[in-house]
Amino acid sequence: MLEVRSARKVFYRGQPDEKVALDNLNLTLATGEFGVVIGSNGAGKSSMLNAISGSLVLDSGKILIDGDDVTPMPVHKRAARLARVFQDPMRGTAASMTVAENMLLAELRARSRTFRPGLNAARLAEYRERLSVLGLGLENRLDTKVELLSGGQRQSLSLIMAVSDRPDVLLLDEHTAALDPRTADIVMQATIRTVSSLKLTTLMVTHNMQHAVDFGDRVIMLDAGKVKLEIAGEDKKNVTVVDLIGHFSVKTDRMLLAS
Amino acid sequence: MGFIETTLSSFVSLIPVTLAQSLILSFVVLGIMIPFRMLSFPDLTSEGAFPLGGSVCGVLMVAGASPIVAIAGALLAGFVAGCCTAFIHLRFRIHTLLAGILVMTMLYSVNLRIMGRSNLSVFGSPTVFDWVPGLQGGFPASKIVVAGIVVLAVFLLLYFYFKTEKGTAMRAVGSNPDMAEAQGINVWAATIGGIGLAGAFSATGGALMVQSQGFADVNMGIGVLINGLAALMIGEAITGKQTVLRQLLAPFVGAIVYYQLVSLCLAAGMPPPDLKLATGLFVLIMLALPSIKRGRGPAAAKETFRE
Repeated sequence: MLEVRSARKVFYRGQPDEKVALDNLNLTLATGEFGVVIGSNGAGKSSMLNAISGSLVLDSGKILIDGDDVTPMPVHKRAARLARVFQDPMRGTAASMTVAENMLLAELRARSRTFRPGLNAARLAEYRERLSVLGLGLENRLDTKVELLSGGQRQSLSLIMAVSDRPDVLLLDEHTAALDPRTADIVMQATIRTVSSLKLTTLMVTHNMQHAVDFGDRVIMLDAGKVKLEIAGEDKKNVTVVDLIGHFSVKTDRMLLAS
Repeated sequence: MGFIETTLSSFVSLIPVTLAQSLILSFVVLGIMIPFRMLSFPDLTSEGAFPLGGSVCGVLMVAGASPIVAIAGALLAGFVAGCCTAFIHLRFRIHTLLAGILVMTMLYSVNLRIMGRSNLSVFGSPTVFDWVPGLQGGFPASKIVVAGIVVLAVFLLLYFYFKTEKGTAMRAVGSNPDMAEAQGINVWAATIGGIGLAGAFSATGGALMVQSQGFADVNMGIGVLINGLAALMIGEAITGKQTVLRQLLAPFVGAIVYYQLVSLCLAAGMPPPDLKLATGLFVLIMLALPSIKRGRGPAAAKETFRE
């Protein structure tokens, strides 16, 4: 379970361009629940995700994972319980290292690293199996440096890395936004498959209204650093793209076109 | 004909001496390579850590410590110096290069304080080079044997280390600090530890140099960084850097080839004062090559360093 309690963050406090990024935001995601976060630019989506992952320090408020207060923990400590796929395929992987080494780093996310050899036959076989789920042929390219992979392949790898040790919370930060539509679709399908088969507690930020309609148990709309609207249960099943866009305070045609 | 003959004969006669020297200085090249390539942290500390190792080693030897203890003391001092550079960069967000320059400059005074004067003779004190059975200490052969064994041991240790779980994590910090942090790696600890390790190697090089040449000098570090960089560039041109093995071989191969090249130039009659200019130009060309090549053909992959 993921809880955000009265999270508050103000940028440039006391300056003319003061900006309230998170305004006493409250959010609870039950264990195994898949939440989809939408909202216009500057609504606080990224700030919320950064606050949950630890890269943004809150002015006040708390972040709890399965009831444990993780607010004072730095990013690398929280990583034991939480995995994140970034929007930029470059950010989530170590480019100059091989596919297998990246998988190893992900496997060790929640564990203490030892002086034992990192890669061994058993691990390589396991990685091969995990990557074969994607159907991209990555399982045959374990010794390839990640910088030689395409953006879609890198993002798919990031996804497999993120779910490899069943994190308590999975954060997806517009993780298909930088991909072409076909690749985005492949990555999205893989996401849905793994999230539902592993029953991961997932928070996905997206600008794609169709994704918000099609996937997830609950839609959470942010506006000015607060939750403006939540749609769950039967309502979520019947919601349409037009409904969602109707709730945006600033409407643009681009939203509809992008969907 | 006479020129080539005399050049070659004086070059060949210098080989044992330069080989011993290059094995010792390969520690400095290693101390430059690890921050630069494994941690993407261009680090200038070695210019100060090298004489620091020499000073500490010299003072300990004069005080009657065993040569191994003297080297251990130097290693520890170098580790601390490296840690300082990394800490200054991480804590105060000062550019890596500036942090290195600060530490290197401050170390000059520290080294003078440690020795109490600018030059310290350790002639007559026992050195690690005395311990080779069947050879007389102080001759190139014994230096080659001792330095060679240490080089081999360090190379093997590092090779296995960078393949372990911890070593892989350290390389990830150099490859992508954001990703490393998100994978639960403590970027601070890995950076401080890695740069400290590099400082320790540079200082060890200084300590071995002092035992080899019989004196410590506060100015022995001048130019050691650019020599080390040149050696690293040559090594990488020969071995490549695609794998951990190749990247790790580069400092050792580079050090040996570089100092042989220098020796060849000197044997051919190049005035020693011109050496630094030549070395600097060489490093400049090696660093500029990717951008010169980019003029034609596709853009080369850009290397990113921490700032």
